[in-house]
Amino acid sequence: MVRSNRMHIREAHRLFIFAPLNLAMREKKYLLLSLFFLFCTLSIVKGQSRNIGAFEMDETELYAMTKQMSQFISRFNYEEDQFGKKLLLSSPDYRNSSKRNAFLPLLFDGENLRTSSALKDFFIDDLTKNTDSSYLQFLGGRWYAETEASFDYQGKQVSVIMILMIEKERLGSKWVLTNVYFPAFNKLFPEGELAEKEKHFLHPMSHELDFMNIHKAFNQPEVIEYYASKSFSPDFLTLFFYEVKMGRLKFKQVNTLKFHIFQMKDWYFEVSYFNRPGMNSGWLISNLMYIKEAEKQTIMKFYQP
Amino acid sequence: MRKITILLAVLISLMAGNVIKAQDISPERKQAIDSLALEKVRDLSKYVSIIGSKSTPWSEANRVIDRAEELFMQGAEMGVSSLYQSDILYFKVRQYFERLMRLNYDRVEIEWYKIEYVSDLQAQPDGTYVGVITIFQRFKGFDAEGNLVYEDTTKKDITIYVKRKETQIGGRLIGFWDVLLGDVRVKETRK
Repeated sequence: MVRSNRMHIREAHRLFIFAPLNLAMREKKYLLLSLFFLFCTLSIVKGQSRNIGAFEMDETELYAMTKQMSQFISRFNYEEDQFGKKLLLSSPDYRNSSKRNAFLPLLFDGENLRTSSALKDFFIDDLTKNTDSSYLQFLGGRWYAETEASFDYQGKQVSVIMILMIEKERLGSKWVLTNVYFPAFNKLFPEGELAEKEKHFLHPMSHELDFMNIHKAFNQPEVIEYYASKSFSPDFLTLFFYEVKMGRLKFKQVNTLKFHIFQMKDWYFEVSYFNRPGMNSGWLISNLMYIKEAEKQTIMKFYQP
Repeated sequence: MRKITILLAVLISLMAGNVIKAQDISPERKQAIDSLALEKVRDLSKYVSIIGSKSTPWSEANRVIDRAEELFMQGAEMGVSSLYQSDILYFKVRQYFERLMRLNYDRVEIEWYKIEYVSDLQAQPDGTYVGVITIFQRFKGFDAEGNLVYEDTTKKDITIYVKRKETQIGGRLIGFWDVLLGDVRVKETRK
């Protein structure tokens, strides 16, 4: 327990919590933040390292790293304190707005212009207005995992993007596949020219001829979908399962993983893993967009058709 | 009579609700489970150091592999990748330890960073709780002349399964939380 507390105190020194600052002071805050990191890496780091046997073990960066998505959620909601210790619901610090406001910038990829602009300030400002909807919930839906994986397909290595989401089931929950993106499937269903599409149909009296003209639909297999209802849209997940079941698509491995989060009102952000040295590593926000709720529905259709 | 029927229906549905809900874990209980899980992870770290050490006799290393294997659920796997070899190599737990035992270095040093992070626990469909503990390991391999020929730091994300079990002690049924380790993702973080 003593060791654990010491660990937390060490993390506090490194992740330092600033006093609440208003929006006008943000620029100054980020300057302070940068200076703090510089200070950390140049001086404190050395002071906090320890020796085990022949090793000079410096743990500073490992403490700063957002090590799991679970930790990202805890840090994002400010449900674990600056020392990395879980806060109890009864704690006054639990989801503390001002502390959260100071901590959130650390969860952004600092080497990416898309996540270091003024948009970030607006986002943080929105989140810390004390609304219940500004906290991430594991079982709250509207967040998706995107994995890029290698498969063998007809003797070649190909890349398939699989989308997964958390689904509640019986006593708990599980990740389930919701969609796939595989260019070979998309090529099968290209967005055709309207004029071309209009040429392909079965006239309304075809039934009287025992559909003797239906062969036209099969003469050009590449556009057979033009003969489907206008509500038709290809189900790529079914195609994917079919190819796997037929043994033509063989899984090799997952290469990359990121998360798409739509839970925050009018905001979308992406979380990726940054395996790099320094104080800004692990699971971090790699993209941020302001998207009205109505528009989100259209975008989310890709993740959850 | 109708009111009693409605009341009974409500009571039954509430009871049914309780039956199908995974057993809740209070924050205090979670702390106790975390400690138990960390204890197992520390045992694993200790075993890895013994198995990897060149000074451990072959028979002793095999005995420790047996102990280490007991920490894991059956069928657990290690998925290993490095900075320059992004392909993930999968090993069964025993296979991983045997490989570690046979590493072609004259001397190895395996050390563990003190940092350990324990995730929240989430219930899976059968009610068993699952979580992940992250630890970091430093490895150094030396040749016969004592030269450092390989070193890396790896992040190990270890699955933990937490299940409520019962045992009989002196004729009384005693409930307890059991922790077993599952799949481990081993990812190199730096050279």
